[in-house]
Amino acid sequence: MSTRHREGGSKKRRTTLTLPVESLTQAERIARARKVNLSTVISEAIAEGLRTHSALERSEQVFNAYKKAFSGLTDHEMAILDGIILEPASRR
Amino acid sequence: MVDPASGPFLFDTGAESWLARTQSNWMRQYLSRHQLHVSAVTVLERSRGYSLLYSRAPDSRKESIEARRVAYLSLLGRVWPLDAAVAVVAGEIMVLLPDPPTPPRRSHHLAESRAERLSRWRFDAMIAATALVATLPLIHNNVVDFEAIRGAIERAPGRFPNLGPLQLIRCQLLRETVH
Repeated sequence: MSTRHREGGSKKRRTTLTLPVESLTQAERIARARKVNLSTVISEAIAEGLRTHSALERSEQVFNAYKKAFSGLTDHEMAILDGIILEPASRR
Repeated sequence: MVDPASGPFLFDTGAESWLARTQSNWMRQYLSRHQLHVSAVTVLERSRGYSLLYSRAPDSRKESIEARRVAYLSLLGRVWPLDAAVAVVAGEIMVLLPDPPTPPRRSHHLAESRAERLSRWRFDAMIAATALVATLPLIHNNVVDFEAIRGAIERAPGRFPNLGPLQLIRCQLLRETVH
């Protein structure tokens, strides 16, 4: 593996990947159509995949925090959290 | 059908917790694409609620109530402020509709005071005003209140120049469209 910087670009590192033939063929077709090299197409695909993965991770974090925030509460307690304050009639 | 990708949307206080409690797949899909947008008024209502629960809880339960409050605050996405533009619009709504469209809630031996109902109604007006100013559809779980506000805005467009209509989405509709 070797690491290098390109002017105006992010840090790059050479590596070897084993990819499904079908994906590789499709990436080569896209590279030819766009007149860019195969590395560019693969890099973009990986970056997009990682963005999606991060978004899903964030989504799960928020969803789990939600579950914790609202779980195990009675309907009356949930009403209070929703801004509906019900008091015993005698206390009014 | 409400596509989660067509957001972002503003979530009313009741809608936010309803969607969380129903473990909605729609909500999961929405959160993978957008931040959760709420009004600062929702944070106020929620914060007040947790604080009330904490103050009334026995000592053995206080820690778990506080953990829930911390969990809620840790997930806050985009919180829209109650700024001058929202305040102006909310003030207009409150004059058009000074009284809540339904009486205070009652449940068995519990009842909502008139003062509480009025403040909840005014909070709804502020949340609707936030949605209008932010030009975000409002997801809600309170048809009567928000439809009344939407109708009032439609009947008095001159009081809301360059704003509206208020777009409303019932959260039950999202449940029906979840796959």
